[in-house]
Amino acid sequence: MMKQYFDDLVNGIEAKIEADPNSRSPRKVYALEVAKLGSRLYSGEEEIAWCGVTAPFDLLSAMGVTSCFVEFVGAMLASTGMASNFLDEAEQAGFAGDTCAYHKSVIGAARKDMMPVPNFLIATSCPCTGGLAVMENLAHHFKKDLFVLNIPQEETKQSVQYLADQIKEMVEFVTAHTGEKLSDDRLRSAIENTNRTRKIMVDVFKMAMNVPSPANGRLLSNFGIVIALLLGTEAGVEVAEAYRKGFGETLEKGIAGIPDEKIRLLWIQNRIQFKNPMVEILEKEYGASIVSDELNDITWDPIDPEDPYTGMAKRAISIPFNGKGKRRIKHLQEMAKAYRIDGAINPCHWGCRQGTGARGLISKGLGDIDVPVLNLEVDCVDSRNFAEGQLRTRLEAFMEMLESRPSPWAA
Amino acid sequence: MKTEKNHKLGFTCAYTPMAILDAAGFLPFRVLPVSNSPDQAGHLLHDNLCPHVKRVLDRAIEKDLPEDLAGMVFMNSCDAMRRLADAWMEVRPDDKVILLDLPATNERTAIDFFSGELSRLAETLAKWSGSPVTEEKIALSVDKYNELSDLANRLNGFMNEGKLEGSGSRMQELINLATSLPVEEALDLFKTEIVKAESSSPIKNGIPVFIFGNVMPDPEFFSLFESCGVHIAGNDFCTGTRMFSSMPYTKNRSIFIQLSKNILEKPPCARSFDPLKPGGLAENVYEKAKACGARGIIGHTLKFCDPYLARLPMVRDKLQDTDIPLLLLEGDCTLRSIGQQRTRIEAFVEMLR
Ligand code: SF4
Ligand code: SF4
Repeated sequence: MMKQYFDDLVNGIEAKIEADPNSRSPRKVYALEVAKLGSRLYSGEEEIAWCGVTAPFDLLSAMGVTSCFVEFVGAMLASTGMASNFLDEAEQAGFAGDTCAYHKSVIGAARKDMMPVPNFLIATSCPCTGGLAVMENLAHHFKKDLFVLNIPQEETKQSVQYLADQIKEMVEFVTAHTGEKLSDDRLRSAIENTNRTRKIMVDVFKMAMNVPSPANGRLLSNFGIVIALLLGTEAGVEVAEAYRKGFGETLEKGIAGIPDEKIRLLWIQNRIQFKNPMVEILEKEYGASIVSDELNDITWDPIDPEDPYTGMAKRAISIPFNGKGKRRIKHLQEMAKAYRIDGAINPCHWGCRQGTGARGLISKGLGDIDVPVLNLEVDCVDSRNFAEGQLRTRLEAFMEMLESRPSPWAA
Repeated sequence: MKTEKNHKLGFTCAYTPMAILDAAGFLPFRVLPVSNSPDQAGHLLHDNLCPHVKRVLDRAIEKDLPEDLAGMVFMNSCDAMRRLADAWMEVRPDDKVILLDLPATNERTAIDFFSGELSRLAETLAKWSGSPVTEEKIALSVDKYNELSDLANRLNGFMNEGKLEGSGSRMQELINLATSLPVEEALDLFKTEIVKAESSSPIKNGIPVFIFGNVMPDPEFFSLFESCGVHIAGNDFCTGTRMFSSMPYTKNRSIFIQLSKNILEKPPCARSFDPLKPGGLAENVYEKAKACGARGIIGHTLKFCDPYLARLPMVRDKLQDTDIPLLLLEGDCTLRSIGQQRTRIEAFVEMLR
């Protein structure tokens, strides 16, 4: 069923592009590559690894392993309106209603045989405790070997070394399971691709900072987190390049991501993954554009091909969800400044202790630079209790407040 | 140097190396989630966070803490605890705060890294106290805590045998005292209790049950179980004897490496695990219950605790295939929450008769 879904998606997008090459938008190129990844994961023909969010996907790809963080499956199930069944299944199996629905839906999918059986699993302690726990559960369920990457909280000489050593051990673990040694050439070429993608993404994000922005509420949604899955590959470079080209053209033509951009918004953490009218309400009714997402940023340096493990370790440690809340808040403040943000929306995804536990401090930190935050109470994956009316009311009040105040960046 | 005004250091997690705090001249003080402070932490954190963390923060907000509390030593045990450390710094900006990074697994690399974290703790405490925290001083404190651990486990054994007067609630009282008194006083207290227990005759009224979970600091919790007909044949809580495990070491090797190994290899709570044995918590619970002759198992965990919530289904699955029935309860650190479950506990005990 899933294989069919992804194959249809791939064929559909390819057919559209072929029929009308002008329709080859950045988002289509992105969707196509993501669908191809899905199709490979479900093909039953490849070495598969289910992973945590901060695994080194470029290194795994250089080792011939098709890998993906499991939360991707949760998001995909939600976006296709299929999550509810799997959430029910997990809850019936005793997984508490209060836990993160990204994880719960994955557990449900695994129990209903809707997740391909992996060759092995690589857990990461970052971004969240729940993520580590779900990987232990999946390893138990699939009866497959598990490797854990403990991602230290802060970047120090020792912590980087610790993670770099673990990544080296991970390479041995992978070899022991696939029988394939890591080839220097493949690693080098993966790192080249990663660095190329990184460089293009820096340009893309810079372009998105323009006032008005070529970005809008859909173009870069989930981009920062999902592109990690394509790092190390030509596909990653191609997707990033499609955005650079697309944004370049938009800027050249003097047009914007939404017709009359009045309010610029920053989305905190992850998007609401199931179908919902938020972006449309924001754009159509208020001229408000989500010009950036918290994870749409490059927080790491290019990876040195002579010393790749150090660079990969620093990259994993650098993600904003890691470390002290203060660091995350500083990053959000910097983004708000760079993008001239008028207001931020924090969905406070139900069940995410990592994220929601920082709610008060994030509001305060952005408040300190005069950027108001709308804290919602929403489950980004589980649509079963989605209260659209309530959400609309909160959104309206927030937008009216933003409309009635000067931009924090005026003058 | 130890000063009366500023000499307690708070901690909240059973993985905290109390001996290092003691060696630095501070009194390790477990900040328990027991307080009459109003619920306020949810505003700064989120309501959907474990009640342990929220109540501890409520205490900080309400200044319901010892006056001589100089600061806090947090362990990065889970997301909720990380967020507590963040919020603590906001609520009590003048406190000294350190957050140690605690790996979830215990391979060689993890032991090396955590050893570095312990040595960072010693250096930081030396700065805070103004006097060096040498390996020798740490070793002396480890000796004391090792003795305390042995005594705590002996006392717990007496409690399991029905020889401790006051039973479960007395045991919890003693543990709470031992994590707030100077270690020397705790040793004296435990020794006196042991003498008393040695000469008492066992009283076992209820059905033998193994109880486990995370945070259960209120002594009355245990009385409540016992009043439902439970005899606590074995127990494993992070506010119980899990705080006390012996740390053997030898003199000619780095104390930090040895402590690190001991801490990472001690019987884990749900937040740590062995990647070679996914679902190991279920095995541990079953084996401990079997070893103490329990006829049933009660798991009591806090709402919103990801480490436990995610692993309980594996415990449930495992026990389904065994002869030991399981009852799972969820609480919020208050006696009220567990009191509401009295009927379920009584029915479970009835079923075991
Ligand atoms: S939403 Fe939060 S709990 Fe869920 S996967 Fe992401 S970081 Fe983890
Ligand atoms: S009870 Fe659970 S969630 Fe709360 S601090 Fe302990 S491990 Fe973390």
